[in-house]
Amino acid sequence: MTLILDILTTAAILFVIATGLLTIFGVLKIINFAHGAWLTIGAYCAVAVGQLGWSPWLAFPVAFVVGAVLGGLTERFIVRPLYARPLDAILATWGLGIVVGQLITLGFGRDVQFTAPLLPGTADILGTSYSIYRLFALGAAIVIGLGFSWLMEGTRLGLSARAVIMNEALAHVLGLDTRRIRWVTFMIGCGLAGLAGVLLTPLTSVDPNMGLAWLVGSFMLVMVAGQSFAALALACLLLGGAQVLVSTFLSPILGGITVAVLAAIILRISPKGFSRV
Amino acid sequence: MAEALQDATVKLSLDGVTSGYGAIDVLRGVSLDIREGEIFALMGKNGMGKTTLLKTILGAIRASAGRIRYEGAEITGAEPRALIAAGIGYAPQDQPLFQDLSIRDNLRLALPGDAHLPSALERVYGHFPFLADRLAQKAGTLSGGEQKMLIIARALMTEPRLLLIDEISEGLQPTVIARIAEALREERRSRGTTILLVEQNLDFALGIADRWAVLKLGTIDDAGPAGADAHSRILRHLQI
Repeated sequence: MTLILDILTTAAILFVIATGLLTIFGVLKIINFAHGAWLTIGAYCAVAVGQLGWSPWLAFPVAFVVGAVLGGLTERFIVRPLYARPLDAILATWGLGIVVGQLITLGFGRDVQFTAPLLPGTADILGTSYSIYRLFALGAAIVIGLGFSWLMEGTRLGLSARAVIMNEALAHVLGLDTRRIRWVTFMIGCGLAGLAGVLLTPLTSVDPNMGLAWLVGSFMLVMVAGQSFAALALACLLLGGAQVLVSTFLSPILGGITVAVLAAIILRISPKGFSRV
Repeated sequence: MAEALQDATVKLSLDGVTSGYGAIDVLRGVSLDIREGEIFALMGKNGMGKTTLLKTILGAIRASAGRIRYEGAEITGAEPRALIAAGIGYAPQDQPLFQDLSIRDNLRLALPGDAHLPSALERVYGHFPFLADRLAQKAGTLSGGEQKMLIIARALMTEPRLLLIDEISEGLQPTVIARIAEALREERRSRGTTILLVEQNLDFALGIADRWAVLKLGTIDDAGPAGADAHSRILRHLQI
């Protein structure tokens, strides 16, 4: 039972982290390599909220807003001028990630930091004692997934975003404000990265480079998922599950590279990954 | 109708418009006036610049020279979004539908919001009743003819005052062409819609158009009213 819960909660955490990256990739057609930095910013929002003595739960909205605002500025002043040169845009986001990491180091130092546990203790699940916080992370992933489904399927913004994902040239000549759609999407994607950073803090230590490892994993998951959120959920479940199994039965070090290795194999066999899901 | 149109004001005017892709000019100094309430057929073989002309009017391709005026105001270089809001409708030829979206969502996307969606849907049902019963169906699953009717329906959702249509009859059965022709005639009759029709199907185009022009290598090669000799004159230009 513990193994099943570990697989589910690991997949949930990966899904929350990768959702923002996939959102931006779907609409803007670029991989935001600053995604790890935005996740780190979210984690440091949790640190800052703790240092200010605020309720640790406030870190979630604070991180989302900070991520979205900084993401909006990034899209406007760094990414938008480079839309015609997607490779340069991707390199610019990589460079931005490095700059953000250095700025965080300047502000908070290099030391590893920890935040107070949000939901300490365990709960009894079918006779198995399991971390309440990891169960909360699973619930949070489901809420974010459902919220995102509603946003994409049930709102005008979501319809416009799906139109841009499917055929941006057509969306443009039909009069859709594709510039605004890209901007809002980038903000939401960065806000989600910040949210994921807060979600991670009770599970891991916080340092200026913590986002890098998560960036690699979520990048590979997005490559496997294509532009489908259902495919992303499946990829997180399968690859995250494999990561848990390898970590548990072979080696945690091998577990750390499982997602990247499996994703590379899947893409070698099926270049479109799970995108037809 | 022809006499009334001669006295009508100019709805769309192109004056020496040049445009293309990168350093290559596809249109070379095109000048054209289309009057209020007129159906104008722009004919020409493949690769002569017909689609480029529509995209240039709509602002999807920038004109490198010349001026475009719509309802008296200069619109050269304006964004498609602004022109759609100003009353121009567009029925494109290339990848014209969101294949994985429903009919309803394809139609919704023509409007800036959902406030007027029910009335706009009712209006296009009048032209193409089959849409009403199949709103949830994905556009990509429609037959070729149904897809073309959906493209026209979407362009009519905003009640455009000027409608740009790109080779809508291509590959269609005569019955479907007749339905589309009737819908366009009815739009002009009931709302005075001006229509610029890019076509290669002479019978369809001359069946509804008031005037025509032939575009050849990016310039207007011939033009005239849709009279008795139009068919043979245009045919001479279209023959290889």
